Amino acid sequence: MAAAVTCRLSAAFCRQFQRVVTVSSYTQPQYAAQTIYKFQSCQQRAPVYSRALHTSCVRNGLDEFFDLPENWGEPTVKSGAPWTAKQLRTKSNEDLHKLWYVLLKEKNMLLTIEQEAKRQCLQMPSPERIKKVERSMKRLDTVVQERADSLRLLQTGQEKARPGAWRKNVFGKTIWYKFREHPIPWHLNTRYKRKRFYEPLHVAPYTRLSLEKHLKSKVRKERREKRQQEELAEIFPKKTAVA
Amino acid sequence: MRLTALLSMAAKAAFPHDYRYGTSRPWMVAARRVNPPGKKRRKVFVEPIANEDWHVLRGDTVEILSGKDKGKQGKVSQVFRHRNWVILEGLNTHYRYIGRSGDYRGTYIASEAPLLLKDISLIDPTDRKPTGIEWRFTEEGERVRVSLRTGRIIPKPVYQRKDGIIPQQWKDGPKDTSPDDALQKTYTPSLKTLEEEVMEKMNIQEDRRPRKSYWY
Repeated sequence: MAAAVTCRLSAAFCRQFQRVVTVSSYTQPQYAAQTIYKFQSCQQRAPVYSRALHTSCVRNGLDEFFDLPENWGEPTVKSGAPWTAKQLRTKSNEDLHKLWYVLLKEKNMLLTIEQEAKRQCLQMPSPERIKKVERSMKRLDTVVQERADSLRLLQTGQEKARPGAWRKNVFGKTIWYKFREHPIPWHLNTRYKRKRFYEPLHVAPYTRLSLEKHLKSKVRKERREKRQQEELAEIFPKKTAVA
Repeated sequence: MRLTALLSMAAKAAFPHDYRYGTSRPWMVAARRVNPPGKKRRKVFVEPIANEDWHVLRGDTVEILSGKDKGKQGKVSQVFRHRNWVILEGLNTHYRYIGRSGDYRGTYIASEAPLLLKDISLIDPTDRKPTGIEWRFTEEGERVRVSLRTGRIIPKPVYQRKDGIIPQQWKDGPKDTSPDDALQKTYTPSLKTLEEEVMEKMNIQEDRRPRKSYWY
């Protein structure tokens, strides 16, 4: 029965649908820089896409900003589910790289449709497609970040990609100051030297007051939570037997 | 970075902590009329039910235990977890006019009122009577709802998705990836970053040395 359960789960998984073209099967890598030549010669489209497209006239790539001609004028356009992070983690870096640009172009196309619909005061067909693409891209970015983080932790032991430090700013607050990249060292940077990473004397009383405020609000919140829980327990006594 | 945070804050609808959430979404016109900003209503106490203990799902057939339509069975069409509400199709209705404009009084329709969870009871499929429910694990390890009276498992209800898609009848469009391609594993872990791998595959030779920069 466990096998049946896993079978059912994997079958449900297989029936999932993603709204991106196949990227795993290809004969030759096609790069954005080279597609310009493709359109000029009106050849068959890159084998990255699962179906062939023949353009009748040269539009210098602008037709990628528009939907497929059979969807023009439709009130709703069918689209599948977005990519999940679990599925994206099984893909190689190269596939993810390609997928990112496919999603980006799809997003540009959808945003063009949205803007045109706004211009003509009409409703955009199936606006949920933009959200799906955005979510897919966000998850892709998360997966790439995970891989980069794990590699960095393994090789250097650093947890954060961007260097920084805990510093006290001029308002007396200790903040995580994120470093920025500069072409000149700090002792030659006059603007950086004017920044004060210490608390002036007249600010010290306010730091103490803000700490008091923070502690008070924390205690008040805890007391409020406790009081609310007691009120709820009074109104809804917990039953020993499940109803 | 701070600008995007500001914009996202502006875009997100913010409500006070004592906002009384109703059946309509808080940003809709009807909800804005009932709960204008600055209005304080008497606090409603909602029984805290953990996510694991919630046993009524959308599409379930339940029986009403108290109220106007006591004893009737109906299908759950909406569940509101924030108020422990359940809306059944066509039951516990009151009548109102909708779409009023000018002299036209509007359409007279029946609108369902929400029912609290304690006035609802799931139905045992064997004898079609209301019964208490408990979450138990089967021998395979699946978590199911079990009727306390007869011990029968109550299956998860089938309910059509809001976008009208039936997964069994789905046909991939031209831009959809087929399930085999989507599930195919192409990742081989390596000690190269994404940039290095992609540059290798694309035969990009980067001979330039980055200029010395200072981080502070």
